[in-house]
Amino acid sequence: MQFFLTLKEDGNVSFCPFQVMDKLNSDVLSYLSKPLSLETIQIVQERLYRRKLVNFLHKGPKRRDRKLEILKIIRALGWDTQDFTWQELSPASVAGCSDRLDEKRYYEVRNMFNRLVLGRQLSCSDLRSLARELKLEEREIIRLAHSSVEQGSAQWVPAVKSHGRGWQCQRCGETNLEVWPGLQGMAATCQSCESIGPSTSLDVFFRDQRPLLDGPSEVLFRPHWTLTEAQRLASEQVLEFIKDASEETALLWAACGAGKTEVCFPSAAWALERGKSVLFAAPRQDVVKDIEPRLRRDFPDYPLQVLTGTTLVKFQGGGMVLATTHQVLRFWRAFDVVFMDEMDAFPYHGSRALEWGLKHALRPNGKIIYMTATPSPEGLVGVQQGKIRLIRLPARHHRTPLPVPSWERSRHPLESYSCADLWASQIDTLRAAGPVLVFVPKISWIKPWIKCFQRRFPDWCVDGSYSSDLGRSAKLERLRQGEFDLFVSTTILERGITLSRIQVVVLAADHPVFDERALVQMAGRVGRTRESPEGKVVFVSQRRTPAMKTAVLWIKEQNRHAMELGLINADSAGG
Amino acid sequence: MRDLGIEAAKITRALWYVDKQACIFCGEEQGVICPACTTEYLHPELGRCRGCGKLILSEKIHCLDCEAGKGPKHLDQITAWGHYAGGLKEFIQEIKFKAHPRRLMEIARPFSDWAISQLPVVDGVVAVPMHASRMAERGFNQAEVISSVLHWQLGLPILCGVERIASTSSQVSLSRQERLHNLKGAFEVQQPEKIKGRSIWLVDDVTTTGATLEAVAETLRESGVQAIYGLCLAAGLEKKLVPLCD
Repeated sequence: MQFFLTLKEDGNVSFCPFQVMDKLNSDVLSYLSKPLSLETIQIVQERLYRRKLVNFLHKGPKRRDRKLEILKIIRALGWDTQDFTWQELSPASVAGCSDRLDEKRYYEVRNMFNRLVLGRQLSCSDLRSLARELKLEEREIIRLAHSSVEQGSAQWVPAVKSHGRGWQCQRCGETNLEVWPGLQGMAATCQSCESIGPSTSLDVFFRDQRPLLDGPSEVLFRPHWTLTEAQRLASEQVLEFIKDASEETALLWAACGAGKTEVCFPSAAWALERGKSVLFAAPRQDVVKDIEPRLRRDFPDYPLQVLTGTTLVKFQGGGMVLATTHQVLRFWRAFDVVFMDEMDAFPYHGSRALEWGLKHALRPNGKIIYMTATPSPEGLVGVQQGKIRLIRLPARHHRTPLPVPSWERSRHPLESYSCADLWASQIDTLRAAGPVLVFVPKISWIKPWIKCFQRRFPDWCVDGSYSSDLGRSAKLERLRQGEFDLFVSTTILERGITLSRIQVVVLAADHPVFDERALVQMAGRVGRTRESPEGKVVFVSQRRTPAMKTAVLWIKEQNRHAMELGLINADSAGG
Repeated sequence: MRDLGIEAAKITRALWYVDKQACIFCGEEQGVICPACTTEYLHPELGRCRGCGKLILSEKIHCLDCEAGKGPKHLDQITAWGHYAGGLKEFIQEIKFKAHPRRLMEIARPFSDWAISQLPVVDGVVAVPMHASRMAERGFNQAEVISSVLHWQLGLPILCGVERIASTSSQVSLSRQERLHNLKGAFEVQQPEKIKGRSIWLVDDVTTTGATLEAVAETLRESGVQAIYGLCLAAGLEKKLVPLCD
């Protein structure tokens, strides 16, 4: 999108997306006939301001020809100014602007627009989709956006800005961009965040700068559960952290299946009551879908915005937002409190773009709480350095310790798909306690292992699944119903699934794809329900890797910590 | 300094390992365009309608529309590299709407080789022009980038002179008649002496009815261009063929 540079009565430079002005621009004297990029106009503004300062300090010539000065700067930026002319604005041309909606409809639409764009950072294509939702023309939505900018409640920013000798995407912070020769010199396209729409040096973002909530309000918070002792302790610490102004970041390190999300609900209610906006973010859609009903149930009637890549209504209102980390890139300094679930999960973990986006969705002095069962090394380093406050939730609600994995050595390489080893006879014992979930490191292992188990246990119902399996959701539903005796899976079932009486076997636990976090998560599938609080986890491999040792250490440490706080029953704390 | 290190590592890697070429359309590591995508999108087994470039059965010369006299009249021939669908469609849309003009470099060789095997050698290439306001918005004209690719690969000069003087609405939702009407008077030749008596390839990214090519060709003919061959990356498929391809 480009803008027309306008010259105001006071000699200041401004800009407007249209040639035809309305009463908003009543102090505009003239404008340049050809549109320019926003970055060019901003450079002109900056240079004129600097010259003004220099003139003031050195008592330079008082009045120079502003128009010539501006053209000179634009020429120096590489534009061909030959065809540029100044168009004078007469009151008649202002009055002649007739492409406005009728007054009543205009105010209606403007109110709606103002409500839906609170705290948002929107690209032109986002604005176009908002126009479709509001049944407006593209021109009308740009006019609404620009009038917000004129009133000072929003800003236009270049989508990609030149940054030293390179470029930086203003939505995701990426500095490694694809550069190409454009009509006006070099241009750049960001590839990091293009999955939510293009961002190039020719585009602009509309940043609404108002907070999501305009003040304290009454919030109906009706939890449908009572916190366990462990959860209550953690919940108090979370609330204390949010009230305390000294720290900005906290890490909630919870045992797998300890109910860490609910621990944050009372703090969210506290924040909303005080007019602080709240974001629950998660890397993946399935986690968002899992949290949504819980938030809706405990915050009845509260307007909750739920945003994922597949939500049909992209613009919603409300001070509480539940979104995937990709959708968070569409907010700018909007949230006072951010709860980031599963911080160590794909695609958030290791994505600089999403991390940057989450940090910039936070308002100044905002608070961010990372929640995980398996903190990333960076998170732990932050805790050690005292930059991040650590809050622990070491025990599950049924006061039974986490099952500690045992190790079974395999004599043969597991690529030979043979159940002849000693460990295979253990599976029989496991099945007696419940269905067996077998994790393998590669998709290509699934079919051979299903066959192998079918041969060994001919009476059992054996199947398996992986990420691109078309029958995946149907199979997972059958798995939830307990229809399988044994189920082979890749790491897709590593997180976010609770299966009653399940027992876990990890084949080739020494494979490099299984780091300590994946191993802890897989072990964490066992014993999550009150009916079956115990179970077994078996790591099968030829050797024991440091990751396997660390995973066992982490689980034991959680149990020890829970024991010290008296959060698990002493009689069952054998692990 | 860091950039230098990265570049050095790239060069070393290129010297030590043979990089497997990933397919432009599907990403499989089986050459620049894998056999499956060649069959799926480029359809070497099909012919191209001489009138409008549509993909038709190889024994035919014209599509049904052109046989009925509805097609373009001012071009000697139109041809298209592949079918505007699936991977090829995504590729073109990514270039235009996600601002990746550089990606056209990836098809430079196969597309140029194909073009020179299909069309006679000419005096130069002319890109379908874009209106200045659209051009300012997008920063590049994909048809010009394709022309420049052909220029570098085949050594054909780029001929300028035709401009788009009216900013027209998108052709996507319009009918054949509306398209022709929409483009009336949209193009103008500024310097006829540069192209008079020449033979040219008229280049665009996509053609469906051939209306845009026809409108430009009409203006070019008036300025004395002798032979005009339309060349596009993608075109539609003859409707009657569709069940065959499913």
